[in-house]
Amino acid sequence: MSYCKVYFTFVKTSPHLLLPNKFKKIGWFIFIPSTIFGIILCINDFRAAWIWVRVFAIANDGTDSNILYFGSRLSNVTDTVVGVPFIIGALLVSFSKEKNEDEFIAEIRLSSLLWAVWVNYILLLVSFLLVYGSPFIEVMVYNMFTTLLIFIVRFNYLLYRNRKTVPDEK
Amino acid sequence: MKNNIRVERAIKGMTQEDLSVKVSVSRQTINAIESNKYIPSTVLALKIAKVFKKPVEEIFILEKND
Repeated sequence: MSYCKVYFTFVKTSPHLLLPNKFKKIGWFIFIPSTIFGIILCINDFRAAWIWVRVFAIANDGTDSNILYFGSRLSNVTDTVVGVPFIIGALLVSFSKEKNEDEFIAEIRLSSLLWAVWVNYILLLVSFLLVYGSPFIEVMVYNMFTTLLIFIVRFNYLLYRNRKTVPDEK
Repeated sequence: MKNNIRVERAIKGMTQEDLSVKVSVSRQTINAIESNKYIPSTVLALKIAKVFKKPVEEIFILEKND
């Protein structure tokens, strides 16, 4: 029995790079609104310029066509204000432990991640072959977020399917 | 690899839930193992065998293509 205890302490503290379960809920609260704002930005062709702030940047547009390195300048941060919460929310949703996290769920998680990377790069490959010119920039924008999105959808679908297929016991 | 957890459970009169609590996993995991959708880790296999007080080979059996 003490052997089991040692194992479980190990599992709890082992470097699985997963966050505690409570972060999942926080993640959804950040992820859903930022996804909605992200969709609004997409509809606006990313030309929305609602929020301007003076920011420090490693690289930014300079006054003329030069690039400004390591300087601060008034910038449109609308994309940042939507993109940063989206990424943080998606990471929290993706990489927080489930309530009943165990080795089977860990396997579903890993296989979903693998699946997401495959699907993402197949889609990117198809876009590379079929999208040219400035529309390709949009492909690049979407591609920044699709791996996590596909993973979240796939992982939660598999969890749902597994929960559903467990028959009620007699 | 196949297993006869379902049979062993029936002998002991245990539900999937009972077994899952004893080995600290979810019921889905026990169900996935029983329906051969998931191969448990060595640790989990040993723990399941311990619950049934049998050697692990009596519960988990290798198949030809393993």
